[in-house]
Amino acid sequence: MSNTLRISIDGKEKEAQAGDSILQAHLKGDETVTANIGCMGQGVCGACRCLVRKEGERETATRLACETLAEEGMQVSFMDYYQPARVSRYGLEDIRDGWEWMKHLRDVFPEASNCRHCSGCDRACPKGITVQEGIALASRGELQAAAEVFDACIMCNLCTLACPENIRPNHVGLFLRRAHAAQTLRPGDLLRRLDQQRRGELAIDLSAVPTAQGERA
Amino acid sequence: MDKLNQVLLKPAIQVGADLFAWMQQGGTQGLATALDAPQTLIQRIADADLRGMGGAGFPTARKWEAAAQAAGSEKYVVCNGNEDEPGTFKDRTLLSRTPHQVIEGALIAALAIRACHVIFYLNPHQQGSLREMRRAVAQWQDSPWLEKVAKAVGQPVDLQVVPSSGRYIGGEETAVVASLEGGFPFPRKKPPFPAESGVRGCPTLINNTETLAKVSHIIRHGADWYRALGVGAASGTKLYSLSGDVMAPGLYELPMGTSLHDLIYRYGGGMLEGKAFKAVFTGGPSNTLLTRKDLDVALDFDSVRERQSRLGTGAMIVISEGSSIIRKVAEYIGFFAKGSCGQCPSCKCGTFQLARLLERVDSGRHSPADLAALRHLCQILPGSGRCGLIDGAVTVVQSSLHTFPQEYGIAATAD
Repeated sequence: MSNTLRISIDGKEKEAQAGDSILQAHLKGDETVTANIGCMGQGVCGACRCLVRKEGERETATRLACETLAEEGMQVSFMDYYQPARVSRYGLEDIRDGWEWMKHLRDVFPEASNCRHCSGCDRACPKGITVQEGIALASRGELQAAAEVFDACIMCNLCTLACPENIRPNHVGLFLRRAHAAQTLRPGDLLRRLDQQRRGELAIDLSAVPTAQGERA
Repeated sequence: MDKLNQVLLKPAIQVGADLFAWMQQGGTQGLATALDAPQTLIQRIADADLRGMGGAGFPTARKWEAAAQAAGSEKYVVCNGNEDEPGTFKDRTLLSRTPHQVIEGALIAALAIRACHVIFYLNPHQQGSLREMRRAVAQWQDSPWLEKVAKAVGQPVDLQVVPSSGRYIGGEETAVVASLEGGFPFPRKKPPFPAESGVRGCPTLINNTETLAKVSHIIRHGADWYRALGVGAASGTKLYSLSGDVMAPGLYELPMGTSLHDLIYRYGGGMLEGKAFKAVFTGGPSNTLLTRKDLDVALDFDSVRERQSRLGTGAMIVISEGSSIIRKVAEYIGFFAKGSCGQCPSCKCGTFQLARLLERVDSGRHSPADLAALRHLCQILPGSGRCGLIDGAVTVVQSSLHTFPQEYGIAATAD
């Protein structure tokens, strides 16, 4: 049995090996990829958001190309970054006060209480975050639980695009994570890392050549 | 011009919310006839070959039959007056100028399916429709007619005017149900169809405003009279919302099956001075474009479908040479992207990406890869949504790619 499979990406036929991600299949070929690419497959930047339709299925789903395995007959369309009409502004000093953060949440994201529970955000999230639950928890004032829901969020903005009430859920999530971090003790591992950096133990040699393992020699 | 405005837009019946004036023009005669033999109504509507005027062209009698057959003593008739698509302006005219013909039609529908609730679901952005319908409904509530209908139905019948959300998606049948249940107008999966299980699980007959407006005339004058109004095999009349680069844009009631050429050149006064005909966006505008070779098409549901397009709501947006098809398509896709409810990521995200690509093409900032991506999106999106919004959006993009490839700078594809 051949391990080669064919998928189509933005109208181009690509050959992939079983086990390849869509992104790996996308990068095979001569053309330079200049869009929908960021962290090169680590699943942290959200740039490779795409619509994916599997062969024989009606559903077209939103996925990250770097975290989705290529399948025979799969069709993939990459998507632009969605820029919401309104940008929210708030200062860290505003959200540091545990008594006041809900007021600030309401001021900055007044739409957050308008959720219609359509689950469009949950379906749109390529990370499988229960976005709707996070927004509900935030509206109830449960900061820690709400912030934890958005822990894996990579700010791809697909939930913001999906939301018919313009809630901008991932931005609410970022607010919650910031507020939670600002109101609690800093994590020990982060403190140790910062200490190492200050002592000069984490210097980066930009002239080094990357090896196959991604380490700098 | 003798064929213009014969029934719904007949000048004499433009009496506003005055019930007495409506009766002087023969109003309530249809309802009186219907009260004499309610059990024959569905057959008469079937004989008249009345179709759904909201865009689908589905036989009205079959919908009525399904709602009549559905089990349950509590049934709804909903007049869908959400009209919100670009280029369509027919229902608001009926609702604000001749509300009684709509109400009478809805009461006849209630008789036919034995419904006890009649709801007029109206777009709140059209203040005139809401105002006149509220006035008109109040007069029916004070009239003996409601009592007569209630007696025939076997239970009290209530009339209500309910403002919709005013969102485009709110006109979709299942979204109407969701909205009337007090929720956001999210379309639902079909089946069950509203005729079987609609508002709060009750059988619900949802008809477009224009469809219901025709009913009293059909019952009053007979199915044969109605059929004879149409051209050839087509039946009755149709409201055409003519707009765009024509001398006399406006609402025209013409025999169903009038040719596109006649609508534009005979009734619409022809193209604007110095402009040449290029294309027509029909219906939603979510259908295949009609071009010069389609000027002879008879504007009825079946004939337009033979040209791989759809009559839709009867809206005809006329574009002249010199206007960018891509610009217009980009505008409409932007409208759909905004109107998409967000339930199905493929629809919300798909329309967004279509709009982005079209904007790039229209402004000349695109690469050949963008065009390939646009065509590819048209392949992967259809059928992926709960309702037809994404399919309509793809249809108009695909049609523009096929019909005007030179504007996209691509080679023509074979028919």
